[in-house]
Amino acid sequence: METIIEVKDLVKVFHSRGRKITAVNDVSFDVFKGEIFGMIGPNGAGKSTIFSMLTTLIKPTNGSIKVAGFDADKEDDKIRPIIGIVPQKLSLYPDLTARENLELMGKLYSVPKKLMEERIDHYLQLVGLGSHADRFAGGFSGGMKQRLSVICAVLHDPQIIFWDEPSTGLDPQTRQAIWKLARKFNGEGKTLVFTTHYMEEADNLCDRVAVMNLGKMVALDTPENLKERSGSTNLEEVFIHLTGEEVRD
Amino acid sequence: MDVRTELQHSWIITVKEFRQLSRKKALMVPLFLFPIIMIIFFGYGMGGTVKDAPILIVNDDTGTASNSLIQHIGSYTGKYGGEPMFSITYTKDMSQSKAESKIDAGWYKAVLLIPPDYSEKLAKNESVTLILLTDSSDTTTTGIIVNYMKQLFSERGSVSLNVPNIYGDLEYLDFLTPAVIALTIFMGSVATTGSAIAGEKQDGTIVRILMTPVSRRAVILGKTIYQLILQLIRAAILIMAAYFLVGFHMNGSWLLVALVLVIFTLGGVGMGIVMSTRVNDMESFFQLNMLVTLPSMFITGVFFPLSSVPDWMRYIAYLLPLTYANDAMRTIMIKGQGLSAISTDLIILSLFALITFTAGVHLFRREA
Repeated sequence: METIIEVKDLVKVFHSRGRKITAVNDVSFDVFKGEIFGMIGPNGAGKSTIFSMLTTLIKPTNGSIKVAGFDADKEDDKIRPIIGIVPQKLSLYPDLTARENLELMGKLYSVPKKLMEERIDHYLQLVGLGSHADRFAGGFSGGMKQRLSVICAVLHDPQIIFWDEPSTGLDPQTRQAIWKLARKFNGEGKTLVFTTHYMEEADNLCDRVAVMNLGKMVALDTPENLKERSGSTNLEEVFIHLTGEEVRD
Repeated sequence: MDVRTELQHSWIITVKEFRQLSRKKALMVPLFLFPIIMIIFFGYGMGGTVKDAPILIVNDDTGTASNSLIQHIGSYTGKYGGEPMFSITYTKDMSQSKAESKIDAGWYKAVLLIPPDYSEKLAKNESVTLILLTDSSDTTTTGIIVNYMKQLFSERGSVSLNVPNIYGDLEYLDFLTPAVIALTIFMGSVATTGSAIAGEKQDGTIVRILMTPVSRRAVILGKTIYQLILQLIRAAILIMAAYFLVGFHMNGSWLLVALVLVIFTLGGVGMGIVMSTRVNDMESFFQLNMLVTLPSMFITGVFFPLSSVPDWMRYIAYLLPLTYANDAMRTIMIKGQGLSAISTDLIILSLFALITFTAGVHLFRREA
């Protein structure tokens, strides 16, 4: 399988009030082109830090990341146009309409105007927001915001979509709709990288799952293999087995 | 990334900022109306006292009457006592135009010209006229000086005082308006830049923008262009309101006013960015903003001349950039002076802009 993301010996250390905090400790993995890759782990496991490094928002302390062959440290300007990001905070301008939010992203990704307008109409219809295009995003429900946030990330037709906690706080219907959307994008050949707290989501959606704990990667395999290896019937048991029962801050 | 794309990205951010502003109707009213209200309210009836005001006495008289007059002026402490009201420098053989140039340069608040025949005419009980030139760009201080002098000479019978208005017929409002514009631009650029970034941090939108191919440089440039346009529009509205509503006099160059405001806005934007990098939400930003900008409003001589405040307050004022913006704006708008008269102010304001802007860009780039 063709590798699209290569992570080698990744370390991220933060310094806070004289304390050294190792958020990510010597993590290596590959993501294959066209797969849905999930990262799961309790709070403080290092998922979001890895997510920020993969999306070029922060730089690693040590180690290397290559996305589509580009070095995340030195060639972040080549990576950004080919990735789409759905952040955990939905990050929409509340005083802009849905269409204006989309236009802003389209322009910042330099999508040609005509193509951008076609895609905006197409995606708004696809996620059921066609009749809400000219409403302010601030007045949207959580589910509507999530759907708008997703299409903001794909307007420039990225090769890879990074998706932080896709269905946190959503009702079952919206969650199903989001999963359907994820499968659709994956069916179009896009690679998806998720972080999630929901084992059901990882089990249903992901081709492979990386389990993170305390900054380290403790397992990486398909959901089926992970379950088989630990003799569990569901991914939640595997998760508890690998990361322990202790509640994290 | 090429410059053209960077500029295109910056302009997209600028347009987005304006579009967001147009949706915040509740913000538009205070943004444009607050400074106008301030001018109207403060423009009537501000008083004050003066101490140590620098005065030049050009004494061409050799008699004793002028000596007694000078002694009287030098020892005057005002009705509440304390330090002398005037700090006097003496000279002789100076023309009126030369004396005016000393006021233009900001060395003296007033120049009193005593004619050669002052003592002689006073001895013969003949009428004699003295000329008092004042820096009427500082209406509070000169108002007090003129009142004192008029009272002094009214006690001396045949002596009359000629007070030419070298900058025209000015009122407190003329003193106030240039500084209120500087204050408005300062508080506006710091608050709107900082709160916008703090708000975008709070709702995560800034992170989303920074994840796109747009450079941090382009984001900052876009926000800065927006601020420059917005603050210049505010200043123009304010000047027009002051002109049409309360009869403000503009004696100087609009271009110089714009230059000062552009440099000062850059400093304000830089300061707003620096402050926004220190907080994570809008509420914290507004607390910090109050702490940083409010003292400037009261200490830097916006509402009263620095000559009327205690020394310690004046020393603090000299550390605050608004003091220099106020001085530059008054020198241009009231005195009608050119670039050379505000060169020191411009150097200090440029340094302020350079330091805050560089720090802002550095911290903003490092933060995310």
